[in-house]
Amino acid sequence: MLRQPLTRALALSSPARAAPLAVRRYAEIAPQPDKVEVFIDDKPVYVPPGTTVLQAAAQVGVEIPRFCYHERLAVAGNCRMCLVEVEKSPKPVAACAMPVMKGMRVKTNSDLTRKAREGVMEFLLVNHPLDCPICDQGGECDLQDQSMAFGSDKSRFTDIHFSGKRAVEDKDVGPLIKTIMTRCIHCTRCIRFASEVAGVDDLGTTGRGSDMQVGTYVEKMFLSELSGNIIDLCPVGALTSKPYSFVARPWETRRIDSVDVLDPLGSNIVVATRTNEVLRILPRTNEEINEEWLSDKSRFACDGLKRQRLVTPLMADSRGNLTPVDWEDAVVAASRALRDCPADKLLAVAGDMADAESLVALKDLLNRLGSENACTEQYFPLEGAGIDLRSTYLLNTGIANVEDADFVLLIGTNVRFEAPLLNTRIRKAFIQKDTDVALVGPKVDLTYDYVHVGESASIVKDLASGTSSHEVLRKLEQAKRPVVILGADQLKTQEGAALLAYTQELALRLQDKLEDKNWKVLNVLQRTASQVAALDIGYKPGVGALLSAGPQVVYLLGADSGVVTRESLPKDAVVIYQGHHGDAGASIADIVLPGAAYTEKRATYVNAEGRAQQALPAVSPPGQAREDWKIIRAISEVVGVRLPYDNLDEVRDRLSEISPALVTYGDMQNNNYFAQARALAQSLQKPVSGNLDVKLKTLEDYFMTDAISRASPTMAKCVQAVLKQKQSTY
Amino acid sequence: MAARQAIQVGTKNVRPVLSLNAGEARARVLNLYKAWYRQIPYLVKDFDIPKSEEQCRARLKEMFLNNKHVTDIRVIDILVIKGQMELKEAVNLWKQKGHIMAYFKPTEEPKPKDFLSKFFSSNE
Repeated sequence: MLRQPLTRALALSSPARAAPLAVRRYAEIAPQPDKVEVFIDDKPVYVPPGTTVLQAAAQVGVEIPRFCYHERLAVAGNCRMCLVEVEKSPKPVAACAMPVMKGMRVKTNSDLTRKAREGVMEFLLVNHPLDCPICDQGGECDLQDQSMAFGSDKSRFTDIHFSGKRAVEDKDVGPLIKTIMTRCIHCTRCIRFASEVAGVDDLGTTGRGSDMQVGTYVEKMFLSELSGNIIDLCPVGALTSKPYSFVARPWETRRIDSVDVLDPLGSNIVVATRTNEVLRILPRTNEEINEEWLSDKSRFACDGLKRQRLVTPLMADSRGNLTPVDWEDAVVAASRALRDCPADKLLAVAGDMADAESLVALKDLLNRLGSENACTEQYFPLEGAGIDLRSTYLLNTGIANVEDADFVLLIGTNVRFEAPLLNTRIRKAFIQKDTDVALVGPKVDLTYDYVHVGESASIVKDLASGTSSHEVLRKLEQAKRPVVILGADQLKTQEGAALLAYTQELALRLQDKLEDKNWKVLNVLQRTASQVAALDIGYKPGVGALLSAGPQVVYLLGADSGVVTRESLPKDAVVIYQGHHGDAGASIADIVLPGAAYTEKRATYVNAEGRAQQALPAVSPPGQAREDWKIIRAISEVVGVRLPYDNLDEVRDRLSEISPALVTYGDMQNNNYFAQARALAQSLQKPVSGNLDVKLKTLEDYFMTDAISRASPTMAKCVQAVLKQKQSTY
Repeated sequence: MAARQAIQVGTKNVRPVLSLNAGEARARVLNLYKAWYRQIPYLVKDFDIPKSEEQCRARLKEMFLNNKHVTDIRVIDILVIKGQMELKEAVNLWKQKGHIMAYFKPTEEPKPKDFLSKFFSSNE
């Protein structure tokens, strides 16, 4: 596999990556070389040597047009759009690839530069179809914009021989990406993304000159969990979104900034809506979390928001069928069930996508009814420090800092599908910084090479005690910035507590020896978007013991992962389900209260690293669905234990009473008390014998994991396409 | 002139609007009521409203009784003046059908104020 030398990798990192926060100070500080002075349009600017002309120009606010250059990808320099005149140079030079030289005088708006751009535009357009009226890229097309800004005002294209323009056959690369290859201008951004970021070396070029084609050589699906990003990268309409094709123009849509909840990272997104419908989801740049990428599930599962929705309150009738009822009836019935239930027979279960506001409202309601049985679906060991110390259940290193690591140990997690954008960070470190990766757990394709230590949990024990003879232990101990990531799924088993204790021991032993005292080694990768907030608020992880105690009333807050089933409950138990999709939870419920999905409410979510973020309402909830905390607030009043908040601000005041971290939006807290957690875990280091297993092993497992993506037809098509591709000989 | 004489309202001496005592005010109210009462057949006809004379008379009585709690002579006078203006507008056909029908506007329900009724009544 291609790894670039360190010098090249450093040159690649864009100026925009320069530390936005104090946390990002781990990058090695090279001795500051003397800066060179260059003149961009006679404006002097000092830049380090090795900077390209294009980057230097960007520093003084001069944007040079480009198609192939992308700051997060390697430089290709093949579109020639960034040609600029440099004094004393016989020819115009490509700004994206040309390093600055001392005293260089660049003219970005001279006659020669403009003529060069005009020429490039003309050549591009000679072989580009006049598709704009039927092209999905219309309105957000770089070629359109730049031909208006830099192109010629008249055409010399006459086609007197009626030979037609270049035409290229379209490719079939799966159910997500529509290809219209005639529009391709061969910028090779998609090829570079696929091989550098996604790690799927499927795309490439064939042919030369006007016969050049971008494609997959043989007909093949683009098997990546990040494939949607090449749609954003494509500067023209050659790669467009298949589910979004011919749906809307960018100027017709309203764009609302929000956060994603389909994986634990909380990627920042922009929700494009029209006529109260979510049309598509695009990534929003956040250097701390998702850079500018977005995983396919987060991007394409949005059509699941329109299907299988609960739009009206439902109650089981005499024959057990759910029938629509009024809000009054449903709330009164739910309240009666809650009121008549003895406090110790009450159970509340929070699901994957519950927001912090509804979590706190539900817990407050339960506490007022005298019950402490609020729990989440995902288990986490309560022995030792349990969930009392925040650092034991968070991704302490921070997503962005993972790319500064020099050794990554993954324990029982398939990061590629559990948190795809964390995996891109590891891959980035692997490629650009020669980071080594080791994995304890089943062998899976992580898109980069790693040392497979084995599947047995006892390996972790040996590593923690320092008795392992494996080379990984030596490498871990030599590493200056090691990272240990433990998959939260492993903690469900009997041995979970011991495994966590060993992982803590290992991570802390490494951390103590580090020179950099601020570097955090221990990471627990949660599986759902709600888990961290729930644990912060004080939910008990896992339903196990509480469920076997035979609860009389079970309140499911979007709990759809199937840990609560009818079989596991007493016959006469009342199940109240509050959520947005008719999925596992609603199917076993007696009373269904329709809630709002993450695109429909202003809500707080805390991601795996403990960063609170706010989702904003892009559309209104369908039918009679209401915001989740309001439903619980209404029930509380009917039960007679009125919760003391009437609006969102008051709920958030309550949140900040519990933990100020829940309302400091966008900030990541510095976690501590590692040593104390380690000390508490000492007694838990019992022998472990089991094997580690992960749920999501291959790409087809990745697409449908929660209520929204299970309801999404696009995700279903993806699974089918991946399975079909597996049958193929290629 | 009546306006120069002070009248007693509560504990204060104030300048009267029209009437000097309750009896005078009462007479003005009754006069206005009668004027409206006699006008009703013409109103029903002229404005072609989908109401009968009985309904109009009932509404007239209701509207007068809406203010029966008013004891301040000056307030009564002002109400009478306003009623007079309304009547004049109706008689001279300065009003249109909709304006007359507006007297029959169903009473607006007050918007819910507390959380629970907001939750049940609106879609928020």
